[in-house]
Amino acid sequence: MSNEIWVFAEQQEGKVRRVAFELLSAAADFSKKTGSTVAGILLGSGLQEALKSLTSYADKIYLLDDPGLAAYTSDAYLIHMAPLIKEHQPSILLGGATSTGKDLFPRLAMHLQTGYAPDCTGLTIEENGKLIAKRPLYGGKVFAEMIYLEAKPQMATVRNNTFLVNQNLNKSAQVIPISSPIDPSSLKKKVIGLEKAAGAKLDITEAEIVVAAGRGIKAPENFKIMEELADVLNASVGTTRATVDEGWRDVKDQIGKSGKNISAKLYMAFGVSGAIHHILGIGTCKTVVAVDTDPNALIFNYADYGIVGDLFQIVPALTEELKKAMAEK
Amino acid sequence: MDIYVLVKQVPDPEANVKVKSDVELEIENKYFTNFFDEIAIEAGLKLREKFGGKVTVLTVDNKKVDALRRGIAMGADDAIQITDPALEGSDPFAIAKTLAAYLKDKPFDLILAGRQAMDDDAGIVGPGVAELLGIPHVNMIVGLEIDDPKKELKVVREVEGGKEILSCFLPALFTCQKGLNNPRIPQVMNVMKAMKAQMKKVDLAALGLSAVDVGGQAVKIKVQKYLPPPKRPPVKMIKEDFPENVKQLVKLLKEEAKVI
Amino acid sequence: MALDFTFTEEQEFFRQMVRDAVNRLIMPRVKELDEKEEFPWDLWKEFAALGYLGLRHEEKYGGMGIDTITQMIFYEELARGSCGFSMSATMQILMGTYFIARFGNENIKQRILVPAIKGEKIGTICFTEDQSGSDLAGTRTLATKVDGGWRINGRKQWITNGPIADFATVMATIDPKMGLKGLNFYLVERKTADRDGFVSGQRLHKLGSRCSVTGELVMDNTFIPDENFLGEEIGKGVQYAGEILNEVRVMTGMNALAIAKEAMEDARQYANNRVAFGNPISKYQLIREKFAKFWAWYEASRTFLYKCAWMIQNKIPCINECMLAKYHSTEMCMYAVEECMRIYGGNAFCSEYPVQRFWRDAKFLLYGGGTHEVLCDYLGRIYCKE
Repeated sequence: MSNEIWVFAEQQEGKVRRVAFELLSAAADFSKKTGSTVAGILLGSGLQEALKSLTSYADKIYLLDDPGLAAYTSDAYLIHMAPLIKEHQPSILLGGATSTGKDLFPRLAMHLQTGYAPDCTGLTIEENGKLIAKRPLYGGKVFAEMIYLEAKPQMATVRNNTFLVNQNLNKSAQVIPISSPIDPSSLKKKVIGLEKAAGAKLDITEAEIVVAAGRGIKAPENFKIMEELADVLNASVGTTRATVDEGWRDVKDQIGKSGKNISAKLYMAFGVSGAIHHILGIGTCKTVVAVDTDPNALIFNYADYGIVGDLFQIVPALTEELKKAMAEK
Repeated sequence: MDIYVLVKQVPDPEANVKVKSDVELEIENKYFTNFFDEIAIEAGLKLREKFGGKVTVLTVDNKKVDALRRGIAMGADDAIQITDPALEGSDPFAIAKTLAAYLKDKPFDLILAGRQAMDDDAGIVGPGVAELLGIPHVNMIVGLEIDDPKKELKVVREVEGGKEILSCFLPALFTCQKGLNNPRIPQVMNVMKAMKAQMKKVDLAALGLSAVDVGGQAVKIKVQKYLPPPKRPPVKMIKEDFPENVKQLVKLLKEEAKVI
Repeated sequence: MALDFTFTEEQEFFRQMVRDAVNRLIMPRVKELDEKEEFPWDLWKEFAALGYLGLRHEEKYGGMGIDTITQMIFYEELARGSCGFSMSATMQILMGTYFIARFGNENIKQRILVPAIKGEKIGTICFTEDQSGSDLAGTRTLATKVDGGWRINGRKQWITNGPIADFATVMATIDPKMGLKGLNFYLVERKTADRDGFVSGQRLHKLGSRCSVTGELVMDNTFIPDENFLGEEIGKGVQYAGEILNEVRVMTGMNALAIAKEAMEDARQYANNRVAFGNPISKYQLIREKFAKFWAWYEASRTFLYKCAWMIQNKIPCINECMLAKYHSTEMCMYAVEECMRIYGGNAFCSEYPVQRFWRDAKFLLYGGGTHEVLCDYLGRIYCKE
């Protein structure tokens, strides 16, 4: 076994996801304790830009740049990553709890017959290199610290915004190109298209700031004021189960138990009553603001700041006020 | 089409779950069928309506069979309960191994599962079973288009910032999530059928597995310590009148919380 | 084991399925149903498609032939949603179709019962008039024997589903002077171009249970054929009515259980959340006592009601028990919602909070199946062995 910590440097269209930098920053911290080498593993096609963005964050980069890897599929990635992991035997393999991470990691872990902690909200390491993965269970009603048994690597996917990006690592990675062209016939599925969501906003799981409205917004067209607020903050717009079930918003924006868990730095809820389904999805957000007309709304129990008021009055005023504040910056 | 749906009974979202000790939880006895599994059952039933065949619901659980009953109530043809005392304490990898052992010699076209069980929220079993059976999987699908089960099919999964459309051949395994369909509400006639249904029970020996393959002995990762969720400090209500309250909020976010 | 209070695993599953259907179909619309005060045809169709309207009828007519205890589980779960919808549905399932199924000939069953089970035809039963309700002997609607059938004359009031009913089981007397002995049931259908029948009179606007529509049915020399006489012998109407009164009373009790529980669960959440003098109000003893009292009353009521259901199912005579249980549970429910109103303080008085709806709905249960004044007078008389 090597003393390497690997981070799956997930990229989409040649751009490495922020969560990978977060994990590389965390891995750099861990390596101070364990003396590990931090390595990124980058797969895809046409990766020059991606590679450049990564070099200062890792000691090593395993690079698999192949036209056959242009789009992610679990088969293609697994075929490449599994032998490499077997060869180098990293002690830890981390990835973002993204749609790709959650698709790839469980299958890879099963293939490697090793332990995997999904959707973690914290990681710590002991001097002997043992990883402790903290993750929510039962939708966040409890948390568990998980430890790994013998098999290596210790695998985990970690939620966005769990760690901060350290832009001052100043490493200069040794790039290790791996060539192993894919036999396309060995692949059982292929990507045939990508429909981009309208608007340029980040997914609610990735955004640092999320603003959301619930049933209190009264009609789908009223989300316009939420979009305007989001624009000022470079935030994404989330929502509750109620509005999704009404058909007002797409399910991809639903926060909560049957939707998505978010770990935003700032979450602001407007006209959200605070049903348990919803609360479970925001448990790991750092700062929560709630605005509702009902002073007894449950959401206030889970917020840091609360205002009793009408969202139709508060949201536009807040948008204006934030514009001023952002301009001062 | 021969379709298997992996299902599980999990604590109701309203159920209390508390830390009892470092390694023990106290879970209120209120269970329901994992919501994502209902979506998977619905997807299976829709395909059966289109192509004929059979939908079988399958669970690994020593006690709770209501997820199977719900499957029957929704319209599934058959229900299988894999049960064995040795399964207690199994992790998702062992559950996947058990399910794969059952499925490996079955003539299935498609295996469906929920995107994750709303208990450990792991999402390992689905892809794990696919890996062990050597079939492709797609996780968290929101669209499925099959014109002919013998030909290439289209499946849509949500990715950050859009939807990805993939194609593959059956047999395959898909995990399903909200957005794929609206699970039907069972009709009372089927509910009565489900009340009377006898589940077919299968034990580990019948699957060629033994106690060392599953349960506590086979875990690859284990809980060192359960923790209650982090507590937020009490809410600070901003009591000023409008528009002062908005100004105050911005000030607090900037100067106290330092998040903008 | 002679005394067993457990539900079977199957019954628990059944409860879960009904609960789930109610949660998905009715719960999201409860407020709207109450405010609109209209019969929700779309919901009715969706609900009927699940097959629950045939719960207690024979399988050959599309029913499920379910036992009494399971039926009561259904009523208890259904009423968690909208009291009004529950009233319309139980009218259809139980009172509105019972005598059709019991005495109707094959033609009538195919024509009326089968579509009623599918929810395509809506039924009701008519007892109350302007001068009679709990006092059945005061019934003045007159049935006169004529060649090939009967002529019915009278006005029935307070008829659940009345404004939308396609058919009604009407209690009428062959002679008001005969008192209870003159009473019979007749099937009367709504008047159409090619059939004589009842017409709708005035619709009532109610305090609670608002999405079940209630109003008058008017029969003006209405002709019905002989086959529409529902009974084996003339003069046995009251005896026949007695056959379902036990079930009706326990069913009403189940509605009370459901409303009381929903109201208290709601109030519990409120009390745990509402802060006064620095604490959630559930920390204060006077508030806690309300929950303790409710809890005790509720458990007693529920146990008693299911005992009655068990007695009915096992054909053990239980007229008095069912009356007592109906009385206890609906008074319990009224007590519970009154206390909930107190817990909510001033907020109880605004329609933004659901507690006022529970309170209005609970009131309705006090009168259904006879006023408590009449009921208690009777029960007291029995107890004193006058």
